[in-house]
Amino acid sequence: MKDIKAKLTEKIKASFDTVSEKDYNGNRLDFHVDVKIIPQILTFLKVNLGYIHLSHISCVDWLEEGEFEIIYILWSPVEKLKVFVRTRINREKPVLPNIDMIWRQANTYEREMREMFGIEIEGLEGAEEFLLEDWQEMPPMRRDFQTEEYAEKTFWSREGREDAIDVREEIIKRSREEIPDFAKKYSR
Amino acid sequence: MREKATTLYFGPQHPGITGNMMIRLKVEGDTIIKATTEVGYLHRAFEKLQEKRNWLQSFTMMCRFCVPETDPMEELYARAVEEIEGREVPERAKYIRVMVLELARLASFMLWYGGQNGSLGLYTMGQWSVGDRNYILDLFEELTGGRIYHMYIWPGGVRRDLPKGFEGRVLKTLDYLEKRLDDYDDLMFDNAIFKKRTQGVGIVDKATAVEHGVVGAVLRGCGIKSDIRIDDPYEVYDKLDFIVPTSDGADIWSRALVRRQEARQSIRIIRQVIDTMPGGSVYNKIPNPQKWKLPKGDAYVRAESVRGEVGLYVVSDGGTMPRRVHLRGAAYVHGITLLEDVLVGENIADVSAIMNSLGTCPPEIER
Amino acid sequence: MINDKNSQKIVDIIQNWARKHSIWVLAYGTGCGAIEIPPTMTSRYDAERLGVRGAATPRQADVLLVTGYLTTKTLKRVIRVYEQMQDPKFVIGFGSCTINGGMYYDSYNTIKLLDKYLPVDVYINGCMPRPEAVLAGFGKLQEIIAEGRANGAQKYKDNLEWYKANQKKIIPSLLTTDYNW
Repeated sequence: MKDIKAKLTEKIKASFDTVSEKDYNGNRLDFHVDVKIIPQILTFLKVNLGYIHLSHISCVDWLEEGEFEIIYILWSPVEKLKVFVRTRINREKPVLPNIDMIWRQANTYEREMREMFGIEIEGLEGAEEFLLEDWQEMPPMRRDFQTEEYAEKTFWSREGREDAIDVREEIIKRSREEIPDFAKKYSR
Repeated sequence: MREKATTLYFGPQHPGITGNMMIRLKVEGDTIIKATTEVGYLHRAFEKLQEKRNWLQSFTMMCRFCVPETDPMEELYARAVEEIEGREVPERAKYIRVMVLELARLASFMLWYGGQNGSLGLYTMGQWSVGDRNYILDLFEELTGGRIYHMYIWPGGVRRDLPKGFEGRVLKTLDYLEKRLDDYDDLMFDNAIFKKRTQGVGIVDKATAVEHGVVGAVLRGCGIKSDIRIDDPYEVYDKLDFIVPTSDGADIWSRALVRRQEARQSIRIIRQVIDTMPGGSVYNKIPNPQKWKLPKGDAYVRAESVRGEVGLYVVSDGGTMPRRVHLRGAAYVHGITLLEDVLVGENIADVSAIMNSLGTCPPEIER
Repeated sequence: MINDKNSQKIVDIIQNWARKHSIWVLAYGTGCGAIEIPPTMTSRYDAERLGVRGAATPRQADVLLVTGYLTTKTLKRVIRVYEQMQDPKFVIGFGSCTINGGMYYDSYNTIKLLDKYLPVDVYINGCMPRPEAVLAGFGKLQEIIAEGRANGAQKYKDNLEWYKANQKKIIPSLLTTDYNW
């Protein structure tokens, strides 16, 4: 596994300059890259190095640092290695290159990312609305969207939920009263 | 003469659809020329809610991601948390986890038998297999207290040890189910109508499979041998002996053949697990859940469910709550782009069968 | 001759008795509760012996089974489906999340109280309710139908404006026509 990782790092570094890697235990290897070379590095990994399976695309909102982190997770069935390609983009004006010509299923991930985080994907096809309908607020998966506040404001709550009075004592007291005499000896 | 194209809305309220989703079909006569999926009817924002729960509270949400097979999600979450934290799992717990996972697979196969045949009008199979599935759910109920939502496999092990004599009851159920699987074969694979309606329908060939990132039985149905349990082994799957069936037809029929084999392999795995299960404790105690903090880090773990590879990406920022929990279901790939491409050129009557065969599970797509 | 008050009563009793034994449930799995419907309908629990069976289209169905949480997107379709159903019609709320939101109480996309939007006749609680609980729910529905208390549809007609206002509050683009019965 060590050789495979070293070889892969060497090949990547030979073709791209601004790449830094981080090694993990087991079959995982991370590459931190610049957002501009995302399509190139993913194509390179898929076509030249055999990382044919795009396992996941995820986005993490680092609100405190003002950045979104995008993680592409690839898998090679031959080398049995998970490769993470990570990039960070500005949170204020997030733009991401489209990769659905490399993997068709990336389209779904990107549509979701566009709707849930408000990230603009260059040249992405497909309807604007993916999971939500008539959504007026900010993209809901951003950290600063307060879901509980929104739910309180929009939907009614069942009465009796707000007060946190402990009623267990009362219930036990009442239920004790109704216990018939013969059953008294079994009660707590 | 060319017929006029019409738009047909398939779902969300439709008896043939596998859950709450909608497909907009453009049809010419009986043939589909374009399909557009519309999802989001089940989007209950789990991933947002999990950011507001602590590590143990968000564990209870995991099993609700996809109802036909709930245990892989729990196991994924447990494994991701263990990977971030570096927590050890007792050997016995790993064996119990594999047993529960395989029982869940078996239960999900039973549901698939009913759904696949129900979509073609063979309702007897539904009565048989969904009825027999209850025997597995009974075992789950005894073990975990719940029929559907188990919340059993948690970070650090499993929630409690097997009840006394449980293994015997599992073996007894397996003996019964093995006999029943033969009955299903007689009903399903010897059936001329089933054969005629499934062979050559819903083709996913190798090129499409690679282009779409197809996983699981759909990938094995087109002749590619791939199984997370062997390629990227987790728990104790590397110590167990089982085969990964493949088939070359690339249609509904060959996917059915693959699943038929896999159900039997699940039974074989459970028997092996029970034979070789070691003793010992079943969980490492976790700290007070209110104050339980995980170190900074992230993990991506994968497991094999009936529908294919399920992955979970968990990020911790060093706090008491997850920063991000992101599930990648098999249906996320199969249910949208692949389905749209496969449906083109098929008949309206086959839509339901194709959806069942691809394992379209809307709650997993929408989360 | 039916104008006579007593005769009307007898007709009602017979009608309710008949209705009670043919509860056709609309096949619409709106949430995760749909997973316990196949076991309820098949060999072990066999709800069909009570006259409960599936119906493919809203026009033929008597009962709308709201199986679990309702997202705002689904709620719009559920309202549409409910209004397409013919009288007599009943609604069963299935699972804790229809009662008070359940574990989705702070979700931005799911409603918390079903009875603000649709008239619910019977609630079945639990997450997830067992098939026995579902059967008990159907039993309860039969009971109140027989007693003539299952008047959800009438309630909906009488308070249509209130229901519509509630629905429009969370679904701005509610496209259903304004019915006048």
